[in-house]
Amino acid sequence: MTFISNLINGISLGSIYAIIALGYTMVYGISKMLNFAHGDVIMVGAYVSYICTTSAGIPPILSVVIAMAVCTVLGILIEGLAYRPLRKASSLAVLITAIGVSYFLQNSALLIWGSNPKTFSSIVPFDSIALFDGKLIITAESIVTVAICIIIMIGLNLFTKNGKMGKAMRAVSEDKDAAQLMGINTNFTISMTFAIGSALAAVAGVLLCSAYPVLIPTTGSMPGIKAFTAAVFGGIGSIPGAMLGGILLGIIEIFGKSYISTALSDAIVFAVLIIVLLLKPTGLLGKKINEKV
Amino acid sequence: MLKVDDINVYYGNIHALKGISLEVHPDEIVALIGANGAGKSTTLKTISGLMRTKTGSITLMDEDISHTDAHKLVAKGLAHVPEGRRIFLQMTVQENLEMGAYTQPGYVKDGINDIFERFPRLKHRKNQIAGTLSGGEQQMLAMGRALMSKPKLLMLDEPSMGLAPILVQQIFDIIKELHDAGTTILLVEQNAEMALQIADRAYVLESGRITISGTGKELAQSDSIKKAYLGG
Repeated sequence: MTFISNLINGISLGSIYAIIALGYTMVYGISKMLNFAHGDVIMVGAYVSYICTTSAGIPPILSVVIAMAVCTVLGILIEGLAYRPLRKASSLAVLITAIGVSYFLQNSALLIWGSNPKTFSSIVPFDSIALFDGKLIITAESIVTVAICIIIMIGLNLFTKNGKMGKAMRAVSEDKDAAQLMGINTNFTISMTFAIGSALAAVAGVLLCSAYPVLIPTTGSMPGIKAFTAAVFGGIGSIPGAMLGGILLGIIEIFGKSYISTALSDAIVFAVLIIVLLLKPTGLLGKKINEKV
Repeated sequence: MLKVDDINVYYGNIHALKGISLEVHPDEIVALIGANGAGKSTTLKTISGLMRTKTGSITLMDEDISHTDAHKLVAKGLAHVPEGRRIFLQMTVQENLEMGAYTQPGYVKDGINDIFERFPRLKHRKNQIAGTLSGGEQQMLAMGRALMSKPKLLMLDEPSMGLAPILVQQIFDIIKELHDAGTTILLVEQNAEMALQIADRAYVLESGRITISGTGKELAQSDSIKKAYLGG
């Protein structure tokens, strides 16, 4: 029974990583940059939802919508102000800027909301489900998290396969110049990618804090790094890869915690990443793209 | 239709185009020939807005486009088939064509039917990933994709590059057909012989400057051209 319970917890945690990893992977796919500030957008989303419910008395579901809206705008602003001017700069300059944006968001949060941990109350209004005479308890948060993750996955797949904007995103990901020659506004398309990624980050933030209720300005950084790991693990740039990587990572983390060592669980996660990358450098579902000269 | 007036383009410190001026009249096929690195592709990239000129102006149908964003030019009737085709290798043939009609959403269906009629080989491969096509098919797809935007002026950069002679002939036949159907064409080619055969007029580029210009026939018979580009 503990095994099943661990598995469910792992899938649930992994679903959160997967949702965050989608943001990383979409942004990487289209702009070939690692947006290390993505994890901190999660934290902003969680704070916005927290403030809405505690100070303004807004219903939890509506607070999530507001958090998504705020993060969408934040994502567009980060891209426009910090990354767009560096579109032609070296990737190192962009990477350092992303780290800068990450610290900027963390410290702004510290300034605005203070360093005291906030206790986030779950936005999921249902009770846990007890099965087999209470031997197996599934929290409502896990079910909601997994369900939302599946919905997002299906939605994003349909969007990128069939939507006009989704196809334009794939075209821009592959070849920016050629996309422009089709009449696609690449700057707008990249902005939209950041917007979608950031809105998903807000959802992830709320789900994360519903399951693990302590909210501080650095809440987003560790899940952010784990989700980045998940994206690389699954094959960065690949949407199904982010999903698979996220869920596997969640399961590995929870199993590592309960069967090997709580203290070492993070080390185990990253060790698995290193092994996978040694064996399959493009990640589980990543494609090797031969650059034509 | 298109008037390029005294453009100077730089790659960093390298002065790639040195005061190029040229003109394309409606319903013409104009060829731009010259050796590797002469600046032919740079000229096309500057016209389509992927690169910027420091001086002079580019006018498309009486409108100054020297500072217009590349993506806005498609709706104005300019299509550019870039060097190396640059089709979206990870998208299907059908999706590539849909992207071509990005600015003409109402034309997707008719356009695709039209392209499949013109290039029947693409029809058989419509759900195939473009990266799996042969070189000739990729070139057809690149041209088809450009035609999906219903261009008034079509710029083709080395359409014959890397193709077997029989395919080269086929591509040039298609260019003639497109021209007969009313599309104005600006053609960049290393295959000067073929280009001069179908061109109404041609310009010869040498290290960033236009050195000779004239009608296709004149240039095909000129001794200096024969020596330099036609192997005779």
